Amino acid sequence: MYRLILKMAYKNMFLRVHRTLLVITMIAVSMSMMLGIQGLYDGMAENMIEKNKRSGSGDIALFAKEYRVQKELKYRVKNASSIKEEIENIKGVEAAVLRLKAEGLLSTARKSSFAFMQGMDLEGENRFGRFEEFLKEGEMRLEKGDAIIGLELAKTLKLQIGSKVVFSTQDIRGEINSIALKIRGIVQTTNIELDNSAIFVDIGEMHRFLGTNEEEATQIAIICKDEKLIEKLVIKYPELEIKSFLELKPTMKMMQDVMLIFNSITFFIVMSVVFVGIFGVMYVSVLDRIREFGIMISVGMRYKYIRVQIFFEALFVGIIGYLSGAVLGAIILLYIKNHGVDLSSFSDALEMWGYEAVIHGTIKISYFTTTFAAIIAASFFSILIPLRKIKKLNPIEVIKADK
Amino acid sequence: MFKLALKNTLFYKGRSITTAILTFVSTMLFILFISMQDGSHNSMLENSLKIYTGAIEIYAKGYRDIGGNDYLIEDAKAITDKLSKIDAIEAYSARYETYGLLSNKEYSAASMVAGVEPSKERVLSSLESALREGKFLDEDSKNCIYMGAELASKLKLRIGGEVAFVGGASEGSFAADIFRVCGTFKTGSFEFDSSASFLARSYFDELMYAKNKASYITIKLKNLSDADAVNSQIVKILDDEKLESLTWKTLMKSMVEAMEVDNIFGYISLSLFLVVIFFVIMIYGFINISSRIKEFGVLRSIGLSKRNIFLLLFYEIFILSTLALIVVTPLSAYICYYYSINPIVIEGIADMYKDYGIVSDEIPFDFNPFTIVWNIVVIYILNFISILYPYIYINSFKPIEAIRHV
Repeated sequence: MYRLILKMAYKNMFLRVHRTLLVITMIAVSMSMMLGIQGLYDGMAENMIEKNKRSGSGDIALFAKEYRVQKELKYRVKNASSIKEEIENIKGVEAAVLRLKAEGLLSTARKSSFAFMQGMDLEGENRFGRFEEFLKEGEMRLEKGDAIIGLELAKTLKLQIGSKVVFSTQDIRGEINSIALKIRGIVQTTNIELDNSAIFVDIGEMHRFLGTNEEEATQIAIICKDEKLIEKLVIKYPELEIKSFLELKPTMKMMQDVMLIFNSITFFIVMSVVFVGIFGVMYVSVLDRIREFGIMISVGMRYKYIRVQIFFEALFVGIIGYLSGAVLGAIILLYIKNHGVDLSSFSDALEMWGYEAVIHGTIKISYFTTTFAAIIAASFFSILIPLRKIKKLNPIEVIKADK
Repeated sequence: MFKLALKNTLFYKGRSITTAILTFVSTMLFILFISMQDGSHNSMLENSLKIYTGAIEIYAKGYRDIGGNDYLIEDAKAITDKLSKIDAIEAYSARYETYGLLSNKEYSAASMVAGVEPSKERVLSSLESALREGKFLDEDSKNCIYMGAELASKLKLRIGGEVAFVGGASEGSFAADIFRVCGTFKTGSFEFDSSASFLARSYFDELMYAKNKASYITIKLKNLSDADAVNSQIVKILDDEKLESLTWKTLMKSMVEAMEVDNIFGYISLSLFLVVIFFVIMIYGFINISSRIKEFGVLRSIGLSKRNIFLLLFYEIFILSTLALIVVTPLSAYICYYYSINPIVIEGIADMYKDYGIVSDEIPFDFNPFTIVWNIVVIYILNFISILYPYIYINSFKPIEAIRHV
């Protein structure tokens, strides 16, 4: 019996082929657009978060208490090297680096700008966050007198590879001290703070410049897989301030939340409208065949079989629409993921806001599973009112009635 | 034909109600979305222009690209004399900017130090109204420095505190002096508040050997929308190839671009809703028409042309769209107007996004009748396009076929 019902449902689906195709097209187009937009927006946010982690604090960062508020060299971690070694030996820790940071004035012969110098170990940074991948121009080299600079700061000061700059700041004794540097590389990390204001030098050279010793640092950054590591570190190092990435970058957390809310609202609105579309077609389809259902009931077909038949009709339309939308959406997502959306003509603005000029999307299985569930639900709910109509049917009257 | 269309819309209630509701929803969404987007962009722009940047600024060519003392304006007065002849200009002032290190006993920080004309800045910028502590500058302030609150906090300075300045003078020599903090300001722009400080030009010019020199001349207009026209006038009146006059569109290129990008993403999101709604309107129109094939067959048989059929469908969608728009337009316009006067406030948003140049917690809407009109035109066009496929479908039947259609 069910085989026959399935066959009837399939054939009825194509009874009004234009109508069915329109609904399928609507589902496919709206679903693929929605997937594309979700993938693009999630990709933007994830890309930014991932690069901010790699270039900045990692998953967890440790500071001396007061440093984040005062940002002064005197609030540095005194035994940073040994703490780093201890942390590296903890299970789940992938990499840890030390950084030394000082704010000051960066000057060329013609221009000056506020900047901060970040001392780092280039090899360690490459292991930590593949820092070399941020290179936009020049080379990744930090020997004596070399510096790498953030893209926006380079633009502000009109710097090129080989340009000479002088960085002036207060050293550990409170004296104004200056260092001459040659630009070896320009990086774009998509971390606004670094791109706009950072000049990177070797941490050893910075220790000599500021008068700090090699054991010390202003930040210890950690990349790890263990989500509970932060709790262990807080207990182990009570004298330090220990923060997770999202605590340090609440904007990123907000961005994630906003994306989630936006995608959920979009999903809800689109699926509601899709539901209205399927409902309209199913309702009219039932009304068109009301005599047919009357005859079926008169000849003894039970209501539950008619219900199953109509459900399958809606389901077929939904599934074909879904499959078309999934294929189209997957093509769009793959394109956005591999080739990206090129917004180079707005590169100034995007770079200023920490985005890359070519925005790459992301693909998540959940896009397809949640949409599938929603379309099946929309198909199911769209037939409830038409079924009510059939249930209340008086077969004799319907058969007698003119079409 | 219009009468027939009107009767049809009343007869096919289901389709009419659905189309009208969907048109209502899509129009409301469209108008409010664009209004909010434009409103927040205008607000960002106005805030930035209000703080410090001028609607138009005049530079010596090369100052912005290369910079340095070689590209200063050497005779600022000659230019300002010419500017005073332009009616559309509300105020102007020559500013001298340099970067230097400010230090007190323990702390140092880099700062942009600018020599300004205090009386003119009162009109030109929001520096005075951003006063947080102490007092704003006047022409005789001497070595008084008016400092961003974040910068003062970084240097642990209070009103009356002294700070040493080291920088480069306009002819290349070192310039050093001790300033006294007379006032601090907070504009809301984190970057500006943490890096800018000001002195009266009368004093600063002596220190920097910058008498009658300027980094640039900033101009405030009576009407911001006249920027392009006034700029052309300025270029003409200056008639000097060594100078360039730039409007805010160039001066704030990154922000203008950022708004364009934001618009693009906004339109992409909006297009999704409009496309889905367009499809549903088309589907309902199609369902309606496919149930009226016989009727169209009869109409064609009694002499109605294809054009008449098109007109009939056009009038039907026109009536439904217009009915929805008559209700939704004043409602949406009122909401836009209301929120343009009473902006939505999201506490903490400016602090959260301070790195992105957001200086206010307010999200105002933009009430612009022209924008609302073009929004409505787009909705009309979409609704009209939605009848094309049903029209093509109905015309695929010959009148006899249509009459016999089951």
